[in-house]
Amino acid sequence: MTAAKLDLLQGTLDLMVLQTLTAMGPLHGYGIARRIEQVSGDKVFLNQGTIYASLVRLQQRGWISSAWGVSSNNRKAKFYSITKKGRKQLSEDAVNWQRLASVMSRVLGM
Amino acid sequence: MIDRLQQFFHRVTSVFRRKKLDHDLDAELAAHLELAIEENLQRGLSPQEARRQTLIRFGGTQQAIEQHRDARGLPGLEILFQDLRYAVRALFKNPGFTIAVVITLALGIAVNATMFSLVSAFLLRRPVVHEPDRVVVVTSVNPARGFLPDTNPVCAPNYFAWREANDVFSDISAADEYRTVSLTAAQGKPEALPSAAVSSNYFGVLGVAAHLGRTFSEGEAQPGRDHVVILSHELWQRRFGSNPAIIGSAIRLNRENYVVIGVMPASFRLLGFTPQVWTPLTLTVADRATSARKDHNLHVFARLKPGVTLEQARLEISNLARRFEQDFPETEKGWSAAVRTLPDFLVYNFGIRNGLALMMTAVGFVLMMACANVAGLLLARATGRQKELGIRIALGAGRLRIIRQLLTEGLLNAVIGGVVALVLAYWGVNFIATKMTFNEAISAVPITLDRNVLLFVLGVSVFSAVLCSLAPALRASRTDINTVLKAESRAASAGRPHSRLRTVLVTGEIALAMFLLIGTGLLIRGLYVVEHQNLGFQPDHLLTAGVTLDSARYKDSAQEISFVRDITSRLQHIPGAGIVAITSDLPATGPPSVNLQIKGEPDLPANQTRNTHDVVVSADYFSAAEIPVLRGRTFTEMDSAASSPVVLVNQEFVHRHLPDQEPLGKQIRLSVTGPTPKWCEIVGVVANVKNYSESPEEHPEVYEPFLQRPVSSFSIMIRTKADPNSLASDLRSALEQADADLPLLHVMSMPAVIDLQKGGDVLFARMLGVFALLALVFAAIGIYALIAYSVGQRTHEIGIRVALGAGSKQVLRMVLLEGLKMTAIGAAIGLAVALPLPKVFAAMFTGLPFSEPRLYLIVPLAIIAVSMLATYIPARRAASVDPTIALRNS
Repeated sequence: MTAAKLDLLQGTLDLMVLQTLTAMGPLHGYGIARRIEQVSGDKVFLNQGTIYASLVRLQQRGWISSAWGVSSNNRKAKFYSITKKGRKQLSEDAVNWQRLASVMSRVLGM
Repeated sequence: MIDRLQQFFHRVTSVFRRKKLDHDLDAELAAHLELAIEENLQRGLSPQEARRQTLIRFGGTQQAIEQHRDARGLPGLEILFQDLRYAVRALFKNPGFTIAVVITLALGIAVNATMFSLVSAFLLRRPVVHEPDRVVVVTSVNPARGFLPDTNPVCAPNYFAWREANDVFSDISAADEYRTVSLTAAQGKPEALPSAAVSSNYFGVLGVAAHLGRTFSEGEAQPGRDHVVILSHELWQRRFGSNPAIIGSAIRLNRENYVVIGVMPASFRLLGFTPQVWTPLTLTVADRATSARKDHNLHVFARLKPGVTLEQARLEISNLARRFEQDFPETEKGWSAAVRTLPDFLVYNFGIRNGLALMMTAVGFVLMMACANVAGLLLARATGRQKELGIRIALGAGRLRIIRQLLTEGLLNAVIGGVVALVLAYWGVNFIATKMTFNEAISAVPITLDRNVLLFVLGVSVFSAVLCSLAPALRASRTDINTVLKAESRAASAGRPHSRLRTVLVTGEIALAMFLLIGTGLLIRGLYVVEHQNLGFQPDHLLTAGVTLDSARYKDSAQEISFVRDITSRLQHIPGAGIVAITSDLPATGPPSVNLQIKGEPDLPANQTRNTHDVVVSADYFSAAEIPVLRGRTFTEMDSAASSPVVLVNQEFVHRHLPDQEPLGKQIRLSVTGPTPKWCEIVGVVANVKNYSESPEEHPEVYEPFLQRPVSSFSIMIRTKADPNSLASDLRSALEQADADLPLLHVMSMPAVIDLQKGGDVLFARMLGVFALLALVFAAIGIYALIAYSVGQRTHEIGIRVALGAGSKQVLRMVLLEGLKMTAIGAAIGLAVALPLPKVFAAMFTGLPFSEPRLYLIVPLAIIAVSMLATYIPARRAASVDPTIALRNS
């Protein structure tokens, strides 16, 4: 596991983005990508560019919102933050994931 | 769910905000990269390395943008727009090609749309009644009666019996259609109107309410209370100025007062059953008597009980009919009954279905040929575009993507073709609507580009887009980029598979053109033979008019006879008038047929009957119509009610019913309406007259003298010295002097009567001829385009041949042979398919002669001539190829 990087399952990235925004508050795309990489211990195989498809998808569903702002080093950047609807969705999805993960670990432990 | 909808909405709007969103994304990505580079610089990397690392981590900006766009918008829609943009550009880049494609498709679609407007008007329009499929029409069936033998009206006793004995109808009503009443308005001339007498529940069974006023109520079917009338919307508008106050007032019908109780809605039309006025049908005890069984005059409309199927109703009615046949063998022998749903019956009875099916088949073929031509053009162009497609494939376009793009182009062509076709069809429909006036029922049906037609055009356009661009698209998608991009020059024999597919298309076109031309030729020839047949009498210089004597003034036969005597002598005094005669049915207009017995001849077996057409004529009829009397004598003034009954018969009667016997002196008895029929003596034999001008058939016919069996509805016939129409006004004024309140029906010359009767046949034949010619033109264009293209492709090869010593004659022959081969194969196929056509037509159009073997020689020769001409032009060009130029060009 250490050598190979994880390929992301469909929909996983969306969940990671939501969780990241919940934990960190408003972030720009680069910040979100960096944060996911750091948290995963660089185990997730993520082209940073992929994040933008996920962001537009989440935004169109109304789970996150965006606004142009200024970054810590005075650069113009688009900041994303999670919405109320997004939090609700995150809690539902997180429960689902945990259930799935525990089932999978049990099945694989047979 | 709502989230999904919201997302979809955003995706759709994104498609149209593309520029702004892309701009935003660019800014966002730029910021991302700057942030990343800055961080890497802070980690101590050189600027170059910082940038490199950043780009590696980012993983390709172009991919990120594409991913973002796919997630953001609707990739399918965007590709469609892209393809459309590309297709539009392609259209303008090659306007000549576009015009050829669009015009070909437009013509093909337009003829289909025009014909389909007729289908829509006559076959698809549902009668505006409540649940039309639950209304059925019960008719009597007698195979011995020629035209549509299963749509005969029903006799009153059977109607009563069905009303009382069936378990399948919730309600059953009867209508005596095709009556004529004369309307005398306060001002203007008396007018003869088609009318129907209907039972009081008729409108209830149909489930139609009056537009104004009410429909009939129960008691109004009683004699004495039956002087009420319902008007059609059209009559109400035309004669009464749409005045609502007409309800409750009286109008004069047949010299009596009728109170108007209602006006029907304009939408209430039942094709051939759309009279102008409805009056109550009064049936009395006499109508239940056995003698009334001979009189088939009622159309029975019934509503099925809930849950009862059409099949159950059919079974029940045919069981009852069988019982009648056993109980009343004298009159019911040979009769059975049929049940049809109202929409089905109306269309069937109108007798237009076969004609329309034929026309639709013909235009369908024309469209297929148009598509084949366009497919041929697209294939030719695809070869020219091979390089372009090769580059696209090399750049990563998938096979489906290429097919999709070419189909989009085809669709765009077809849609433009469809729009142009609608414009053409608009003219076509208007043209046909002005021509479709050969009878009142036809001209009452509005023919328009309605919703059905528009949907049809859309469907046909998409269908032909797929049809004509699928083959080229599939082929193009298989383009092998290596050969295409490498082959800088045209190969010596280029595009074998291409030319093979096109050869198949052109061969198919020739086969179709052959089939259509032979089919049309057979029909036109059949109609021509009938149109020019010897009818057995002399129609030229005959003026005719119809009269219906009403029972209010003409109460008995003595009054009818005196009117006929009066009018005959008045008409004889018109200057220029020759012999004047009276007849119940004009010659060759399909007189009614009756059963008969012959004294001394045994009865026929149970399933056969003797029957004959039956016409009532005045003494001068035969001399007026110039029908030769072959044996015995004609009628005289002495053959009156006081003398013993006599009849004349035609030759066919003798041939069929009295073969090898002396007809004169034989006694026959006709089962005609009225008091007990008498035995009549045959006193003469006349030559055959065609029973129906549209058919070469000759049936037995009996003539009865008017003085012995007067009828109230008859035609006047005047032999004239000059143009018969010049006497029309004299005829009118003579009648006005005899009876000012009596309307005249159809004052017209005998040839005009026959033309009217032919109805749409001539129009249909002409239209078919136009379609067949269009097909021939398409086939010629197809073969011309193919040969011209192939010559263009083979310039190099031909150049080599010429350089090696081939003479221009040899080249000419080679190219001509290529065309001839295709023509011969296509013509052979078309000929084979067309062989059974005469039999098919004979089954579809009874009575028309369809044997014309010469056509099977003439049409192939014509097609070969046309295609040789189409081949000759490009072949000439091939023959004049200059080898130095041809070889240098490559």
